[in-house]
Amino acid sequence: MIEVLKTGLETCVQDFPGRKGAFGMGFPPSGPIDHWSFRLANLLVGNEPGDAALECQFIGPALKFKAPAIFALTGGDMQAKLDGEYVPLWQSVAAGAGQKLEMGPALTGARCYISFAGGVDVPPFLGSRSTFVLGKCGGIDGAPLAVGGEIPVGVGEGISGRRIKRKCLPPLPNNGKWLIEVCAGPNDDWIDKAGQKRFLESMWKLSPKSNRVGFRLEGPKWTFTRKAIDKAPENGSDPSNTIDHGYPIGAINLGGQTPIILLNDTLTLGGFINPYTVPSCAFWKLGQSRPNEIYEFELISIEEAQARKRAINATCSEDSIELA
Amino acid sequence: MIYDKPKFLPGGDRFIEMELGDELNFDLNFLVHALTAKIREAEIQGLIELLPNMASIVISYDPDTISYADIKAEILTHHLAMGSLEDMELLSPIYYIPVLYCDHVTRACWEDYCAKITEKEYDPDLMVRLNDLDGYDQLARIHSGTEYWVAALGFYPGLASLIALDPRCRMTAPKYNPPRTWTPKGTIGYGGSVTCVYPAQTPGGYQIIGHTPVPVCDIAQTLPAFKDDLALLRPGDRVRFFPVEREEYDYVERRVEAGNYVHNVASYAKFSIRDYHKWLDGLEMKERF
Repeated sequence: MIEVLKTGLETCVQDFPGRKGAFGMGFPPSGPIDHWSFRLANLLVGNEPGDAALECQFIGPALKFKAPAIFALTGGDMQAKLDGEYVPLWQSVAAGAGQKLEMGPALTGARCYISFAGGVDVPPFLGSRSTFVLGKCGGIDGAPLAVGGEIPVGVGEGISGRRIKRKCLPPLPNNGKWLIEVCAGPNDDWIDKAGQKRFLESMWKLSPKSNRVGFRLEGPKWTFTRKAIDKAPENGSDPSNTIDHGYPIGAINLGGQTPIILLNDTLTLGGFINPYTVPSCAFWKLGQSRPNEIYEFELISIEEAQARKRAINATCSEDSIELA
Repeated sequence: MIYDKPKFLPGGDRFIEMELGDELNFDLNFLVHALTAKIREAEIQGLIELLPNMASIVISYDPDTISYADIKAEILTHHLAMGSLEDMELLSPIYYIPVLYCDHVTRACWEDYCAKITEKEYDPDLMVRLNDLDGYDQLARIHSGTEYWVAALGFYPGLASLIALDPRCRMTAPKYNPPRTWTPKGTIGYGGSVTCVYPAQTPGGYQIIGHTPVPVCDIAQTLPAFKDDLALLRPGDRVRFFPVEREEYDYVERRVEAGNYVHNVASYAKFSIRDYHKWLDGLEMKERF
């Protein structure tokens, strides 16, 4: 058991790949945005890669271990200290009963993952322990960590001193610029040639008005094809309006002139077009980017996107681990 | 129009949007749900989820189990085997939901919006004006005068998009601009030509015209209807609203709070598209309730 002393900024229990099978009822998958760092965190402490762990966002929590535990931190650097001693990222660490883990704002990246040997042991909801804050379900009481709350931990056999090989780490950029993969579609034919070129050749700023539901982007104007303008009235009046349809996770959803990347806690349907989709291989980048950082988009094929995801999956294995 | 052959539009490495047509049309929506049912039955390896909507189905799949080309080919086979729309029949339970129209909860929500966000016409007044009705009584009579078809489920967990099956009872409504920051759970909303029951307290953009104490989604699964499921309604189900007075509303609310409310559903009901078309053909469209 672990006691919550400070919550951090919306720190939540997540598991991977999150909630499956309830999308059609309106439940998005939830789960960690940077699922690469998340899985590495679990592997370090001897868990299954998808076991439940904590996702800290921008500012980490302060926790008190009630019993000895093996834990690991991956992702963004939130300056974690265990009883005042700096804790290395990407490495499993032993904590004794009564020790305090204190974290601060992210120095690099945006999300830090805390795994515990044995995993976070909360009851699954619709087959997943992931927290869906908007729907008030999953995780601990359907909500982020609360001060004074307790995090139940299962029984695990982790050991300390395991670390991720340097060459297997997600390569965080240090200049605040990200090259994000996108695939064309489903509704790219609503955007004219000039608009498509502008999207792919412009720099886009990640708005501070972003969260796990969607990332809002700021950039140049969109222009449309005839299909978006000359259409049946039930589509709605704006060029970006269409008949209600389901939303893929990662879709770049265009409402008026504002593109929003739909993330893990997305609303599942609506009446706006999705000209492009960010494939799963780029989600770790979304998870680690900070407000006001810059995105540029790289158009790749579906096959290439699937190959890049397989390459990431391949590093989420015991082969990526060495003893410190 | 309804396309002869569905369009497959890829959405990244693990989603496909399959478009069956490009309009709001009951037959098209019926086809969407009939095909969704067929694909579900087929239990295609590597297919993860289906998200049917008005005119399209979003499909999520695992590309390590099935390729884009293979899942597309397999789904096309099921589409080809669909047969004639006229011959289709679906089990379509009818849920009866009591509504207190133009009530205290609706008014309080509207007053709060006017005070905190911006002044706007009271929603039932706006509905009466835009749809050329005599008053609140006719608004209730028209809204409760038809069966509704669950055309889609989602946006928010358990939220069903309902369309009127009797064309004489179709109304239209603009959406709030800017949207409400909160809508009480159980509020009856109307936006475009779609009506809904808010499954939980959420933001919202539909005009609000009444309130029901009957829950349509319950993640705690307290009432008997939610024993095996969290959401009451599924696409292809039907809803019938009936107007009640405050006394009956309070009674139902007490039953819900006590955890012993039993949802009223005719679960044996079937829907035949041929019979529906025949009934539509015989309607005198100028008659209004």
